[in-house]
Amino acid sequence: MSRLLQVRDLRVHFPIVRGILRDRVVGHVRAVDGVDLDLDRGTTYGLVGESGCGKSTLGRAVLRLVEPTGGTVEFNGQDLATVDRHELRRTRRRMQMVFQDPMASLDPRQSVRSALVEPLRTHDIPAGPGGWDRRVRELLDVVGLPAGAARRYPHEFSGGQRQRIGIARAIALQPDLVIADEPVSSLDVSVQAQVINLLQDLQSALGLTYLVIAHDLAVVRHVSDLIGVMYLGTLVEQAPADHLYQAPLHPYTLSLMSAIPIPDPAVEATRERILLTGDLPSPADPPPGCRFHTRCPLRRDTRCHDEVPALREILPGHHVACHWARAPQRNAPDGPGDALPVAGAPSQV
Amino acid sequence: MPQADPGPPDAHDGGAEPLLRVRDLTVAFTQRHRPDLVAVDRLDLDVPAGSTVGLVGESGSGKSVTSLAVMGLLPRRGVRTGGSVRFAGRELLGLPPADLRAVRGKDIAMVFQDPMTCLNPVLSIGVQVTEVLRRHQDLPRGQARDRAAHLLGRVGIPDPARRLGEYPHQLSGGMRQRALIAIALACRPRLLIADEPTTALDVTIQAQILALLRELVSDTGTALLLITHDLGIVAGTCDTVHVMYAGRIVESAPREPLFADPAHPYTAGLLSSVPRLDAPRGKRLVPVPGSPTDVLPWAGACAFAPRCPRTDSPCTDRAPHELAEGPRTLRCHRPLSAFPPEPPATAPAPAPEGHGTGRGGIV
Repeated sequence: MSRLLQVRDLRVHFPIVRGILRDRVVGHVRAVDGVDLDLDRGTTYGLVGESGCGKSTLGRAVLRLVEPTGGTVEFNGQDLATVDRHELRRTRRRMQMVFQDPMASLDPRQSVRSALVEPLRTHDIPAGPGGWDRRVRELLDVVGLPAGAARRYPHEFSGGQRQRIGIARAIALQPDLVIADEPVSSLDVSVQAQVINLLQDLQSALGLTYLVIAHDLAVVRHVSDLIGVMYLGTLVEQAPADHLYQAPLHPYTLSLMSAIPIPDPAVEATRERILLTGDLPSPADPPPGCRFHTRCPLRRDTRCHDEVPALREILPGHHVACHWARAPQRNAPDGPGDALPVAGAPSQV
Repeated sequence: MPQADPGPPDAHDGGAEPLLRVRDLTVAFTQRHRPDLVAVDRLDLDVPAGSTVGLVGESGSGKSVTSLAVMGLLPRRGVRTGGSVRFAGRELLGLPPADLRAVRGKDIAMVFQDPMTCLNPVLSIGVQVTEVLRRHQDLPRGQARDRAAHLLGRVGIPDPARRLGEYPHQLSGGMRQRALIAIALACRPRLLIADEPTTALDVTIQAQILALLRELVSDTGTALLLITHDLGIVAGTCDTVHVMYAGRIVESAPREPLFADPAHPYTAGLLSSVPRLDAPRGKRLVPVPGSPTDVLPWAGACAFAPRCPRTDSPCTDRAPHELAEGPRTLRCHRPLSAFPPEPPATAPAPAPEGHGTGRGGIV
C-alpha cells in the first residue's frame, strides 16, 4: 500500500487578540499542537475526540482551509505547505471534503445540478460526450438519488438525502482523499446507517481514502482501519480499530469508551463506567506535562505533571502517549510490576 | 375516527392510578389552507411514581410535542390539544394558566435539550435558581440563596457559592445542563421530564449527567420521563420504553424484553442501524430505508409502511390496532415475533445474550 498522506508535527495556533485600537496578541489557542498522521491509499483513518479537541481543525489544516502554524502535510509525496496557490488548487482536486451539516454546506439557492457541476467547471474538467447532465446523472445514481433530483433544491430533500448530495459533490472530481467531518452526526438514527453504508460502498467502488472525523467512537470504529484519539490538540492514542476496542491503553480512550452507551440493557447493567471529573481544559492554556493529567483517574505524582508523554509504539501499530501504558502481559511479559489496571482493559469495559 | 380499541379512559387501570396518566392525547397544529398537522395522535402513556420511563423516537415523531403538551407549554393559538393528562389524579389539560403555573416547576419540572437557550443569558445563575424557590416555596432571599448553593453542589458544580454570581456564558455546556437540572430539582418535583438532556453534550459529559439523573431518581424517588433518540441511553436508564413513530407509540415494553426481542420492525430497525461499540467489526449495518418524513397518514394505513421491510397488504389498507400483552403493547400488522407471544416460548425471558441473532428476521 502506498502512502497517500503524511502529516508531521502539524500545528495550528489561533491568536487571541485583545485591544480596542490596535490588536494585541495575548495568547494562542493551540487547536492542533504537534500531530503526526499517516494515511495509506484505500484505507480509512478515524479521528475521534470531544468537541474542542482540535479534530476538525486538523482536518481543515490538512486541506489548507486553515493555514497551519507549523509542520508539514505531504499529499502524494508533495509538500502542501510550500506549493503556490495555483498548484494548491490543482492538488485540491484530489482531496475533497464532506461537511457535517449538509443544509449549511449546500447553497439553498443553487440547484443540485449546479452544485454538482460547479466543482467540475472550477477545475476545467471537459464535459465529455453527453455533457454535464450525463455526469450529474451518474453521480446522483452512485449516491442513490433519482435523476430527477438534479433540478431540485436542497430544501426539498430530507437530511439523509442532503448528505448524499454533499457526498456526490465531494466525489464529483474523482478525488483520492475524502475528509468527512462528522458526516452522520446531524442525521436521524435510522438514516445514519444508510450514509455509513454509502461511504463504505463508494470506498470499495472508487478506491477512496477517507479521513473520518467524528465524536462517536462507535461510528468511527465501524468505518475505520486505523483510529486516532485526540485530546486537547494532540493524539493520545493511535491503533488499529479492533485493537483499540479490545485493548485500549490510554486512560482517556478507556473512559471515552466506557462513556458510550450501548443499546443493550444486559451490557449496560454490568459494564464499569469510568467517569471523568470536570470538563476539557482550555486549549489556550493547556495543562503542563501530560495534558490529560487534570482529569486522569490514574494520575501519579509528579511525572504526569512535569513531563510531556511522547507517543510511543507499545504494540505493533499501537501508539500511546501515556507514561504508564504497558503492553498487556500476555503479549509482552516485560513489565509485570509496573502494569496498571489499564492493561487489563477488556475485562473492565 | 371510530375505533375504540384502547377502551374508555378508565377501562384497564387496575388499582392505583400512576403518577402521570396520559390518555388519548392528541396535538394538532392548524395550518392555513392545508389540513391540520397531527403531531401526536391519541397517545397513551403512564409514568408510575418513582419509575423511569423512556420515550424514544426520531425527529418529527412527536416526542417533544408530547412533553410540551404534558407541561402545558404549547402555544394557545394554532394548536388543538385533546385527550387527558392527569397528574396525581388531577386533570392538567384545560387548567387555568395560573393553576398550571403552580404545578409547573414545583411538582413537574423539565430539563431541555439545549441549556444555553433555556437559561436567561442576562440573569445570573443564582437569580435563576432562587427564582423557582421564591416563587413556589416562598423562601426569603437569604434562605433561597443558601438552598440554591446547596442545590448546585448537589448536582456536582464545584464551588457553588461563587457560581451563583456567574452568568450562563461563563459556564461550560455540562455545567449549564447541571444548573438546569438544579433548577428543575429545586422544589423536589415528583416528576422530571428530560427532553434530550444530553444531546448537546460530549459523551464523557453525557455519562456524568446520566449518572447524576440516575442517582437523583434513586435518591429522591422522583419519577423521570426521559425523551431521547438514543437507544443506548435508554438501555442504561429506563425501566419501561415507549417507541414513537409519526405521533403514535408503536411499541412499549419493559427494557429487557424490548432490546432482547423487539417485535416492531421499526424498533428492530433502529437497533440494527447503529454501529455498536461491542459488536464485531466489518459487518454491514442494516439501515431503515427512506427517511422519517416518508409517512402515511395513520387514518388509512400504518405510517411506517413505506419504510418497513415487512410491508404487506394489510399495512397499507388499514391502521394497525394496539395489541396489549401484559406490560407490552404493539401496533403492527406484521410483527417480527408472534404477538401476543405464546406463553412457553418467551415467558421466562432468558438473559438476552443473543440479541444479534434473536431478530434474525431483519438483521
